[in-house]
Order: sequence, then C-alpha cells, then structure tokens
Amino acid sequence: MKTRRPVAATLAVAGYVIMIVPILFVVTTAFSSGSTLRFPPEGFSLRWFEAAVTYDPFMESLVSSLELALGATALALLLGVPATLAIHRGKLPGRGFVEGLFLSPLIVPELVVGLALYQQLMIGLGLNNVAALLVGHTALMLPYAVRVTGASLALADPAVEEAARGLGASPLRAFRTVTLPMLRPGIFSAALLGFVTSFNNVPLSLLLQDREFRTLPVTMLDYVQQSYNPRIAAMATLILAGTVMIAVIAERTVGFAKIFGGINR
Amino acid sequence: MFRKPALLMLPGLAFLLVGFLLPAVAMLLAPPGEETSAVLTRFIEMFTDPYELRIIGRTVLIGLIVTALCVVLGFPIAYLLARSTGRWGGILLVVAIFPLLLSNVVRTFGWLVLLGANGAIGRLLTATGLVDDAPQLLYTPLAIVLGLTQLFLPLALISCYSAVAQIDPGLDDAARGLGAGRTRTFWTVVVPLATPGVIIAATLVFAGSVTAYTTPYLLGGSGQRMLATQLFTYASVTVDWPAASATALIMTMLVFVVSGIASLAGRRGATS
Amino acid sequence: MSTAAAEFAGVTQRFGDFTAVDAIDLAIPEGRLTTLLGPSGCGKTTSLRMLAGYNTPTSGTIRIHGVDSTRLPPEKRGLGMVFQSYALFPHLTVADNVGYGLKLRRIPAAERARRVQETLGLVGLAHLAGSRPKNLSGGQQQRVALARAIAIRPRLLLLDEPLSNLDARLRVQMRTEIRRIQSETGLTVVLVTHDQDEALEMSDLIVLMRGGRIMQQGAPREVFSRPANRFVADFLGYENFLADAAGSLLTVRPEHLSLGAPAADGLGLEATVVSTAYRGVDLLVTLDAVDGSGAEVRLQADVRAGDAAELAPGTRTTVSAAPEHLVQLADSGKE
Repeated sequence: MKTRRPVAATLAVAGYVIMIVPILFVVTTAFSSGSTLRFPPEGFSLRWFEAAVTYDPFMESLVSSLELALGATALALLLGVPATLAIHRGKLPGRGFVEGLFLSPLIVPELVVGLALYQQLMIGLGLNNVAALLVGHTALMLPYAVRVTGASLALADPAVEEAARGLGASPLRAFRTVTLPMLRPGIFSAALLGFVTSFNNVPLSLLLQDREFRTLPVTMLDYVQQSYNPRIAAMATLILAGTVMIAVIAERTVGFAKIFGGINR
Repeated sequence: MFRKPALLMLPGLAFLLVGFLLPAVAMLLAPPGEETSAVLTRFIEMFTDPYELRIIGRTVLIGLIVTALCVVLGFPIAYLLARSTGRWGGILLVVAIFPLLLSNVVRTFGWLVLLGANGAIGRLLTATGLVDDAPQLLYTPLAIVLGLTQLFLPLALISCYSAVAQIDPGLDDAARGLGAGRTRTFWTVVVPLATPGVIIAATLVFAGSVTAYTTPYLLGGSGQRMLATQLFTYASVTVDWPAASATALIMTMLVFVVSGIASLAGRRGATS
Repeated sequence: MSTAAAEFAGVTQRFGDFTAVDAIDLAIPEGRLTTLLGPSGCGKTTSLRMLAGYNTPTSGTIRIHGVDSTRLPPEKRGLGMVFQSYALFPHLTVADNVGYGLKLRRIPAAERARRVQETLGLVGLAHLAGSRPKNLSGGQQQRVALARAIAIRPRLLLLDEPLSNLDARLRVQMRTEIRRIQSETGLTVVLVTHDQDEALEMSDLIVLMRGGRIMQQGAPREVFSRPANRFVADFLGYENFLADAAGSLLTVRPEHLSLGAPAADGLGLEATVVSTAYRGVDLLVTLDAVDGSGAEVRLQADVRAGDAAELAPGTRTTVSAAPEHLVQLADSGKE
C-alpha cells in the first residue's frame, strides 16, 4: 500500500521514528537493573518500579494531581455545560462572541496564565496555591467542556426536547430526562480529555507549586534535573500504563476517535 | 432558570472573568508594586537589548523550523493514513495520537537518553567510526527542535488528516481520467484542497513551539533560553515583575499575530 | 355540526420583516381529520407550531376547546405532536418512549404498562416494545412517534409532515393506517403536508394555504372539483387554464377532455396535436388551441389509449368538455 510513494513513505517513517522512539527508550530503560539511564539498558529488573512506587514525592504528588484533576474537571463541567446549553439553544445575539470567550484560554500561553494567577491571586489576593491551581486548571478545561459538549449538542435533534415538552414535561424536566442523557457521551469525552489535560499539565502549574501541594509532572521535572536514574523512567512507564487503561475504557464506552474530535479547532 | 437561557452561562462567564481574564489583564498592566509604564518601558527595552533579542530570535526561528518539519513530516503521514485501506491505517493513527495523552515530561526526557554524550546516538556514531568523539547533542538548538517536533507532530497530523480525509477520493479519479499523473494529481488537487488544514496545523505547531517550556528546559539548558524559560526565570528566580509581564506580552502577541494571519489566510482561501 | 376543537382568530406570526402567517381565521372541527395543505413556506408548519405552543403568535388568539391558550406553554396544552424527524428519545426503549408522557402524569406502573401495550398494539408494534429507536426502520420509528403521542390521550393530535421521510410504498400504507387510527380513536387530528394525494385521501377538511393565508377550505370532494382560484387548481394538479368569451378564467381536468367528437354544449375548440405520451392504459395528448378570448393555450388531454385513433403531431382535431366539468375560477390566487 505504501510502496508506491517512496518519498512520502520515507518522510512518514522519519516522522514516526521521531514520535515514538523516545517513548520506547523511556519504557525500556525503566526495566534496567543498572543505575544510569542508558540505552541499551544493563540487565533486566523491576527494582526501579519498586523505587518509584515507594518514593514519597512521586506518590504524594500523584495523589495531589489526581485530586486536582478531579476537582477541576467537575468544576469545568458544572460551569461549562450550562454555558454550552445557553450558547447553542439560547438563541442569543452574539453567541459566537460568547463561545469565543469560553474558548479563549486556549489561545493565551499557559505559562502566562500561570504567571497571572501566581501574581494576582496568590501574591495579590493571598490565595493559597491549591486554590490558584484549581482556578487555573478549571479555566484551562473550560474550552474542552464547552467545545466537546457543544459538538454533542449540535448533533442532537432539537425536536426531541420539544417532543418532551409537548408530552407534558416542564423545561427542567425535559432537560433532565431527555437532553442530559443525550449529552452523556459528549460530557464523558470532555471529562476524560479535561482530566488528562489537567493531570499532565506543566506550564500553568509550574509557578503554583508549594511544599505542601505539588503536582506530579512538575515533581518529575525537578527530579530529572537532580537525579539521572531509571526511577523516573519507571514512574513514566507506570503513568503510560495507566493512561493506556483509561484510553481502552474510553474506547469501549465512547469511542476513541470521538474524543479527539474535540481537539480540532 | 430555563426560561432565560442567558442566565445559564452567567456562572461560567463570571468565573472566566474573575479567574482568567482579569488576572491576565492585571498582570500585563499592573504587576504588584509596579506601574503600568514599567511594563511598557521594559517591553520596548526588550526590543533593543541584544540579549533579549537573541532569545526572541531563537524562539521564533526554532518555532519556524519546527513548524516546517511538522508539516513536511506530518502531511505525508496524514495523506498515507487517510488514503489507506485496511486496519493498519487506524492502528498507526492511534499509535501516533496516543502520546498526546501523556505529559510533556514523559514524552521529552527520552531524548536525554538518546542525545547525551553517553547517549545512544553518540555511542552509535563512535561505534560505527563515523566520528572520533561522541558529539554533545544535548543542550543544543538541534535537541530542542527534535523535542518540539516530537511533541507537535501528532497535532499537525490530526489537522492534516481531517483535511485530507474530507477530500473526495473521486476527485483523484477525475483528475487521473483527464490525464494527470499521480504526482500532478497530488500537487494540483490534494495539496490546494488540504491547504486550510495545513495552515491550521502550522498555526497550532508554531503557537505551541514559541510558548513551550518543558522541552527547552530539559533539552536546552541555560545556554539555549527561549521565551518560556526566560519568563520563568524573571518570575521565579530574579522576581523581576515588569520583565516577566513584558515577556508574557511578547509571547501572547506572537501567538495572536500568527492566529490572526492564519484565520485571514483561511478566510481568503474560503472565498477563492 | 361538529363543534370546534380549536380556533384561530386573526392569528399572525411575524419574524422580523417576514410574515409567515397573515391574520388567519380557522376552526378545527372536533373528531375529524383536518389537513393544512400547501407548498413549503406557506405557513402551515408555523400554524401547527403555534397551535402546539412552540411559537407564540405575534397577534391574534388561539382557543383550544373554547379556552384562550395563546400564551400557554406546550407542556400545559395536553396535545400530542408527531414531528417530521420523529424525535424519539434515543436513550429510551420503545416502551419507555411511549410511556414517557404517562410517567409524567404519574400514572402507576401497572396501568402505564397496560396503556403502553395497548397503544403499541394499535400501531402494530407490540412486539418491539423492548427495542431501541436506532434499531428500527423509518416506518417503525414513525409509528412509535405516533403511539407516544396517542398514549397520553391528547385533546388534539398534531402531525407535522409525518409521511415525507418514508418511501413511496410505506407512505401509501401509512395513509390508511393513520386514517384507521383516527376513526378508531375518534381523535381530532391536524395534519400538515405538501402532498395533495395524501390530503385528498386522508382528510375530512382540507385547508389550502399559501403565503401565510388560507386560499380555500372545504371537504376534499368539494375542493377538488371546485377549486376556488388558480393557485388551488394548480396545486391540485389541474393542467388546463383558459378563458371563455366573457373573460372568466376556466379550468378543466385532463381526463374530462374528449378528442374528435364535437361537443353539444360546454367547451368546443379546434386544436392541433403537439405530442403524445403513451402510458399503457392511457394516452397523454398535448394540444395547442385558441380559447374563447382569443389567447393561445396549451392543453393536456388524458384519453384511454384504446379510444384514440392515430394522433400524429400536427393532426387537427376538436377538443371538447361537458359544461359540468368546466370549473370557473374566482381569480388567479395571487396576493
């Protein structure tokens, strides 16, 4: 299939090498029995996985990141889904502008947002870093909540709500029993995408770290600068495994491709 | 509440205002303890300071190179996958896109293993006798370019893929029937129609590259600063608020300008 | 006489500069099937939606069983509506779809199940109670939508182009079905369609609309044999329009034109054959003639293939029609 276009095939292979090889290296070095990050690794051992799992900074920040991601996802959906409804069903003038506003966090560089929150909320208003992180991550996820559920809503037949109303359901009831269930796949996709985005975030969270509450990616970043051993590779492999599981679950319930439908701007 | 749908978006809007828009504007115009003019002064100074200009220039240049690479490598992949029959197309697409679910730290630090003096590439080169000493590839612009290309290829791929997938394959047949060879068909039919998607891809990649932090930090070291790593220094190490805000302003403007150009180009393309 | 189940009095619907419905007065008779018939954009669907409560009239009143319901929200009107897209709830089974309105009315589960079964039996889908809408064919979905609207024992049943998404064979079948259901239940039905065959076959009362106004209303036979104006005649498939010596506009159906034999009275014109189209049972003959006012007209005659002698293009013959088949039209039907 590909041999008819040698130039394209060569470029494609080069592209895949660049994309995949570094990750392969990470996974293989995690199983090394030696104490440096080398490829090929010296020997085979699982000891670095044990080292990663027993390393407090990793585990504590893992829990913190999970808590933060859950909180920010919930908040983003609570704020974003009603907004989507207002935008798509509200027949308001200037809905394009409002939708643009909700998508604006995508255009401003995350580091800039992190700086703004650090400066204005933490230093200016004295909020603690957890609050600032929550605000920042929620703002970051609002575009996903609005865009992805918006796509779901656009696909749904508006007559279905009218049918529910005609059968006697009040607008609230119609929403609860008919619209919301139809939005479930969209909400689930948005939640998943948002959760992963929050969990993996570095630039925005960078300035909002604190001794008591740190996020995992930033902790890993610090670790790489200080210690150069397979513990970090093991941790990365564990995260990779966890993400694969989530992706498989998502594929079974909603369909992988639909999730990424929300990324395209 | 449902009679007035407008009310539904108020909580979200209020949050956006207080948690995002206001802090962003305040930071740009009035950092704590400083005047607005301090930011503007510093901003203008940055364009005359050779040190700053080098950073800006390096950032933009690397951004352009990475964008070019992502388009040149990503489009063929997108084309081949979009036109493929059979299961491999889908599997390969998933393999390429899956890393987007991982953090940049996980994706990037593999290059440390590859590029260091003791890294795989270095040792491969000395082992085959191509060079005498293993070259230090880490902490160079090349390392940053490779790292950013790896990060943004999947994004470019997604945009180009949807662009190509929307092109009716029947058009290829029509062109071939009229006498165009395969290469000519590609350049005169597929490429023009896919251009809007490619422009979107380029915008995403450029915007991401000039604002990237993790990759320049890990792979560039203190010798190869880019705007994002410099911003962090101003904000956290030297605590120079005007400089931090000015750098943030430059970064944001770069992204806005490129997005603006892209959407203008997109609109012009739509009417032609 | 049947009493009015619903009445429109001076009802107008304006969207900005555009007037979709222009001050219509209409009485929907109780226990009968009324059809709003017309081309797209004539205001029939808008009128239905105002009756259902999804649109509020710009002016005028709508009464349902004598009560002013103009501003009543849809959920308080107790009407059953079937949408063109069926609008079935995708996440519920057929049984739950049909039972949705009953659940809202807090009907106990056992009674609900019984009514759902009964209604599904009425539309012939009792065996599909546990299926999901996406696994049903178009015709089946339509019947579920119907059952769902009927189950709540609505005061009126409203159908918005219910048959337009079905293939030809199903459409014909469903026409009889809907008619049967209406007579079995005695429901007052208001149906919107652009298909005149449908309207003629199913209705007790036809209301022809155009440009937001009512052009003519009456029983099918009456409307069909005596169209009031050119628009109605045109819409109902009349082909031949001509003027008599006094200048009145006349129309006559193709099958009422005879060729060859001169008429005793009524219409009699000299004509030249332009072309013929053989259709097995009948023959469509196109002729050019000069009407009573001296204008050139093109006529279509529909004759039995067996009766017609050889009619090559160019043949001169006589076209005639009995006086009872000539319909005088009031005007052209323009605004």
